[in-house]
Amino acid sequence: MSKDTKQLYAQRMKRYTAAMRNEKPDMIPIRPFVAEFTAVYAGFNCQQVTHDYNLAFEAAIKCARDFDWDAVVANMVYVWTGLTEQQGTKYYAVPGIDLDVDTGFQYREPPEEEAFMQPAEYDALIEDPTGFLFNVWLPRVSRDVVAPGEPNTFHNNVAFLKGGIAMLNYFNAFGPQIGRLTNECGTVSAIAGILKAPLDILGDKLRGYVGLCHDLLERPDKVMAACEALMPHLTHVALSGADPDKNVPITIWMHRGCVPFISHEHFKDIYWATLKPIIQEINSHGHQVLFYAEGNWDHHLDSFAELPDGGIIYHVDTGDIFKVHKKLGHKFCLSGGVPNYLLSYGTPDEVRDVCRKIIDGVAKDGGYIMDASAIIQNDAKVENIKAMTDFTREYGAY
Amino acid sequence: MSKEQEIERKPGVCVPWQEKMKDLPKIRGDADLVKKIWEDNDTWGYVYIWQCLLSF
Repeated sequence: MSKDTKQLYAQRMKRYTAAMRNEKPDMIPIRPFVAEFTAVYAGFNCQQVTHDYNLAFEAAIKCARDFDWDAVVANMVYVWTGLTEQQGTKYYAVPGIDLDVDTGFQYREPPEEEAFMQPAEYDALIEDPTGFLFNVWLPRVSRDVVAPGEPNTFHNNVAFLKGGIAMLNYFNAFGPQIGRLTNECGTVSAIAGILKAPLDILGDKLRGYVGLCHDLLERPDKVMAACEALMPHLTHVALSGADPDKNVPITIWMHRGCVPFISHEHFKDIYWATLKPIIQEINSHGHQVLFYAEGNWDHHLDSFAELPDGGIIYHVDTGDIFKVHKKLGHKFCLSGGVPNYLLSYGTPDEVRDVCRKIIDGVAKDGGYIMDASAIIQNDAKVENIKAMTDFTREYGAY
Repeated sequence: MSKEQEIERKPGVCVPWQEKMKDLPKIRGDADLVKKIWEDNDTWGYVYIWQCLLSF
């Protein structure tokens, strides 16, 4: 690493971590979660960056080199479909296979009657979550894996072998990728470790949203017990992937656990009751959690305010960032708020106007990180991303 | 109840050492070494299935 790059990295890390601790850095850090946007910028299509992680890594490096960003995700096109194809995953629509090459991968939730977990199976999940995932869930989500008791197949045997090797290859590639971001670009790897809320993962990958809604009304005790059974595992996975230096946060990707997807009561009694202890446990180990609050979670800001100061960074998607700032700004750093539709369909002037309003409204005392509302895909215009970046640099110095 | 269902699997574990030991003859050498290497590798199975659920 050259002296300049080393200095740049140190400066950016200091800026990013100061903001995340709700302090005032030298200027507003920029940390865009750029996914398929990187493909467009680097001259690739969605199939290339989704199916070949080396191309996705190259695209991320090119963006980090060219844009003055403090932190990025090492690969925000997070699902490597090379891996999911090796184990026969059914639930993704893959660019270049199921979709045209310029459409990003899609999650296909099965209809309620074909949910990956049936209502009568709650007890089996509660009894042994890891065993349930191997014995029941994986055979249902894979075209190749067979359940115990069914005739074994060649495809079953190789799916486990190839899936495992593919995952190891992929995860092992992140170390060198983060090294390149650091040494070649002076850019911080923005996050480490993954968390999902128990109720969210139950809806996303097991019961499906519609099935979960029925369960919340018909068997709420089972839903609660399942969430409680998942808690220690989700905590363990989150902590096992965390940054050992405790600089960058574990990220929770928040999906459908808010009003109006579920009621206030179900949020308070199940979603939050089984998520809050996980966050507290993670905080007790010295790690912050980035709440990537997809959609609008404004109904639940009072609940989030129960967490200790600095315990989380709160990312605003379609919520009202000014309202969020009033409720949470004195406790937590905020990020996001620049609408993705504007980055896709607006003009650079419109982007600059919104950035100015956000900076004036929420960033005066520090504790804010510039980012789009949601993950930036291949519909964002390059000139608008440049406008967000350059304006924040010019106007966002303290 | 099948053998798999009787096993208590804590976070980070697929096949607990106590279960693995039942399949082994009496260990003649360093049992702690065998246990450590078993657990170090067993946990990759756990990582695999939970990352499939959460990340992929």
